[in-house]
Amino acid sequence: MSMLAMSQFLQDYGSDIIRLTGDHLVLTFMAVAIAAALAVPTGVLLAMCPWRRFSNVMLGIVNIFQPIPSLAMVALAGALFIFLKEKLGWGFLRSTGFAPGLVALVAYALLPIIRNTYTGVRQVDDTIVEVAMGMGMKRVQVLFRVQLPLAVPFILAGLRIATVWTIGTATLVSLIGASSLGGLIFTGIARSRISLILAGAIPAIILAMVFDLFLGATERRLTPDENIINTK
Amino acid sequence: MIAFERINKTYPGGTVAVRDLTLTVAEGETLVLLGTSGSGKTTTMKMVNRLIEPTSGQIRIAGQDIMVQDAVTLRRGIGYAIQHIGLFPHMTVAENIAVVPKLLQWPGQKINSRIDELLSMVGVDPDEFRGRLPSQLSGGQKQRIGVARALAADPPVILMDEPFGALDPITREQLQNEFLDLESEIKKTIIFVTHDIFEAVKMGDRIALLHEGVVQQLGTPREIVLNPANEFVSDFLGHHRFQLSLLTKTIRSILRELQITPQSAPAEQPTDFLPARSTLIDALDAFQAASQDSLPVYDAKQFQGWVARHQLFQVVAQVMGEA
Repeated sequence: MSMLAMSQFLQDYGSDIIRLTGDHLVLTFMAVAIAAALAVPTGVLLAMCPWRRFSNVMLGIVNIFQPIPSLAMVALAGALFIFLKEKLGWGFLRSTGFAPGLVALVAYALLPIIRNTYTGVRQVDDTIVEVAMGMGMKRVQVLFRVQLPLAVPFILAGLRIATVWTIGTATLVSLIGASSLGGLIFTGIARSRISLILAGAIPAIILAMVFDLFLGATERRLTPDENIINTK
Repeated sequence: MIAFERINKTYPGGTVAVRDLTLTVAEGETLVLLGTSGSGKTTTMKMVNRLIEPTSGQIRIAGQDIMVQDAVTLRRGIGYAIQHIGLFPHMTVAENIAVVPKLLQWPGQKINSRIDELLSMVGVDPDEFRGRLPSQLSGGQKQRIGVARALAADPPVILMDEPFGALDPITREQLQNEFLDLESEIKKTIIFVTHDIFEAVKMGDRIALLHEGVVQQLGTPREIVLNPANEFVSDFLGHHRFQLSLLTKTIRSILRELQITPQSAPAEQPTDFLPARSTLIDALDAFQAASQDSLPVYDAKQFQGWVARHQLFQVVAQVMGEA
């Protein structure tokens, strides 16, 4: 593409790219925030649950849902909203758009956060927990002063995975009417216009990479340096 | 004082960990629970701060049944030290030590000065180490912090579960000696768990040797080494009896036996001296290193008197004869 064509293209689509990147980010942030608000407490409760068998079954269910393809999750959310509107008569709902897109993304982001939170809390050495109890901490104090701080790196890893996945999946939710960079991609494909496809794909790729790097760095900074020191 | 009365502990599934255990730990005494793994020693200790609750029987601390007290309050009044893994890895040295004082809601200023006091007490430079994480400490330093943390709120009772277990022999001996010195100053009631007979003899005022949840013998290190109550006890001592018998006597007891009094004190404490807690083996080492024929004895910086080389040899010969 020549410089002239490029500037013409940006003139035509530049504001769309910026607006859709914004929409993409809003969807991602909201989805990850809602998912985290639901998944972190769930993961903690499962990890603390005295009935091991129950928490194992619940984790098993989480693991069953994990391999659902992101496109299928988007499709299910779309179907759910159509079902609610048409069959249950929830007329106030719009069967396409932001809401079903958000639901799909939240559902998809829940799983890695639940799993990582659970693992993070459970990996804390039993001896450490026992010492905390033995020193006279209440159960809640053990959780907030010992188990959760030690689980932070794991929870952050879960958030990072969820964020990166959500940035990717958010391109797909334009299929059920939510506004995101996916809109440019699918329009480009429909019109066989490479420039439009790239205008959607490249910002999505950059977003995913930037968040992966940034969250990865935060994770390393907040990880107790036990491992680093031990390898000296 | 801690009193165990007819304590039984049976785990779900039927494993009997402790069987009909009755013993008292006197105020200021160090009682060592000695045994192999599975002997019930750790279970017995953990019943004192209710990390494990007895199936039957009663434990009283200072006359109070611990089962009618609030477990959390009870635990905050009992120091707890275990192998170095027990430090919280995400907290600095200062934060680790401050855990119980914070739970007890001490004012910040008091906590801070207590941290410095304790660090100096266990021989760790406060300025350098306050802000370090456990991962930035050597094994010996971790253990010192563990001891400081157990002492933090100045509890009358301290439980120690193999506190020097994960150390190399040299550091371990150094820490044992330091702890004995510290203990003679702070005078706590201590329950000390170990599987190491040498450590037990060195650290304990009395030893309870456990096997399969039953106390095989309860007595002073000397009584156990010289008069094993049964075959299990003498097997446990194995072929270490001579060595152990030399550990069961300290310079302090020699001073008493020979009626040595603090006479003609040196002007100031010399570099070559015998701590009163020294065992006969320590003392033999000290005389070998020193050139004099007599060494001054100090108990926590207090001059106690002079012990001569020939007096030491006499006692050693006598002890060997008994063993």
